Amino acid sequence: MDTVIQSLLNGALMGCVYALITLGLSLIFGVMNVVNFAHGDFVMLAMYFTFFIGSMWGVDAVFTPAVTFPLLFLVGVVAYYLIIDGTLRQKYVTQIAVTVGLMTFLRALTQLMWKAQPRALPYSLIQGSIHIAGYNIMLSRLISAGVSILAIGGVSLFLSRTWPGRAIRAASDDLDAASLMGVNYRWTYALAFGLGSALTAIAGGLLMTFQQVDPTMGVRFGLLSWCVLALAGLGSIPGLLISGVIVGAAEALSMSLWDPRARSLIVYLIFILVLWVRPRGLFGRK
Amino acid sequence: MSMSSEPILQVSNLTKRFGNLVAVNNVSLQIPAGEIVGLIGPNGAGKTTFFNTITGLYTPDEGRVVFKGQDITGMPPHKICKLGMSRTFQVTKAFTEMTVEETVRVGAYNRHGEDDVMEKVDEVISFCGLEEIRHQKCGDLGLASLRRVELARAMATEPDLLLLDEAGAGLTAAELAELMEILRKLNREQSVTLCVVEHVMQMVMGLCERIFVLDAGELIAEGTPEEISNNPRVIEAYLGERAIR
Ligand SMILES: Nc1ncnc2c1ncn2[C@@H]1O[C@H](COP(=O)(O)OP(=O)(O)O)[C@@H](O)[C@H]1O
Ligand SMILES: [Mg+2]
Repeated sequence: MDTVIQSLLNGALMGCVYALITLGLSLIFGVMNVVNFAHGDFVMLAMYFTFFIGSMWGVDAVFTPAVTFPLLFLVGVVAYYLIIDGTLRQKYVTQIAVTVGLMTFLRALTQLMWKAQPRALPYSLIQGSIHIAGYNIMLSRLISAGVSILAIGGVSLFLSRTWPGRAIRAASDDLDAASLMGVNYRWTYALAFGLGSALTAIAGGLLMTFQQVDPTMGVRFGLLSWCVLALAGLGSIPGLLISGVIVGAAEALSMSLWDPRARSLIVYLIFILVLWVRPRGLFGRK
Repeated sequence: MSMSSEPILQVSNLTKRFGNLVAVNNVSLQIPAGEIVGLIGPNGAGKTTFFNTITGLYTPDEGRVVFKGQDITGMPPHKICKLGMSRTFQVTKAFTEMTVEETVRVGAYNRHGEDDVMEKVDEVISFCGLEEIRHQKCGDLGLASLRRVELARAMATEPDLLLLDEAGAGLTAAELAELMEILRKLNREQSVTLCVVEHVMQMVMGLCERIFVLDAGELIAEGTPEEISNNPRVIEAYLGERAIR
């Protein structure tokens, strides 16, 4: 029983980071209807950037988003204008081909630059753990979860309270109407893609405080974020957080009770089950 | 009939095709600044397509659109909106997840920054009589309210030319009268030029100084309401529809 609760705790904390990653994906998919296969690889890229900056300047991973956030925002905006923008009015297949191409490119690039072996930073400031009622909670995971929730809240405020946020929501609701009310859709899409990508910088920095990065991370986080998004459905930010926690907990449970190698299997299973039983997700609006 | 003032919109030889179908066929017309003009025609005549082509949602296959002296042919919708043209939609396109107030606010950002946007929002909301529903979600509203919210959203962009696509469709007589009153006031007090596409003849006849008639994509008549209602080609085009009424 203790192992169950312990892994549920770990998984739930991890799930908050998953929710943050998925928020980026959900922005991109919800606003411009682009199925972004490269999102997981943006997370991986963010982790490598974190490693690079952390090891070069000796900066702790938690502080790297100060640099990687604007950097990934820029990468997202450039990727949008260079390759996504031209495919918006094309067939779905074209869009998929393009984001799969981007995925392959990012993967090859990171392998070229950092080789295939896992990379990790020295221990973060936020190492150690606290003990509550006999359970052991890693400080780095606890803080990661907290920061993720804060970041999600920040994005939520940005979307609901600011002019660009409202433009993003209007364009995702009805593009034609938004355009005719003066909203520049390319600008809005570039912003959504940039912000969606930049959020992986925060997640990447947090993840690097307690784990390493290798070139398979892209697939893992891609699958994870699509699973969380499918479970949550589009449009509800609290729903995203709950779904992230569910997926994180399920993953952790399967690892401790069954086999560590079963983690992706469980995630796939949830993904397929949701698409089959409830395609609009638990909290989706359509 | 002579032009009473400078045209705000000049459309020349506009053509829009969908495959073999010519939805708008070589249409030329001018809308004088400050007037309320009507655009009528039976279902499928090409009225909505005409609006979509003028506002930049579609690119015309042929022809030119000049707005306030500037060629806007092929310009993206948000730029056309910035220049001072806005519209409502026949099939309502409200922002379903937003409140009425927020929806109007999106329009008001067209000319206002965060510091003074709410003044504009308040003004438009009271002008359109939306105070009571301003905090409701658009997705929860009925058709009559939705049409009015769309009008408010378009007005909030502060257009010089406002295009209304069947804004009266599906409204009761009382709601229609209210809408017409708002439109007259808008035209009179803020000198906004209006172009109303209508199926409801009563609304066009009571509101417009000049009427254009489209049939099967072609402009078949232009004139005052009296001239139009006595025009044999128009009567013929509408014959089937009249019988239903
Ligand atoms: N996006 C489109 N694709 C193909 N055909 C269209 C499209 N929009 C309109 N049409 C066709 O163009 C013609 C004119 O339609 P429309 O402009 O909606 O007429 P109206 O608004 O006068 O009722 C119709 O025959 C309609 O079927
Ligand atoms: Mg129509």
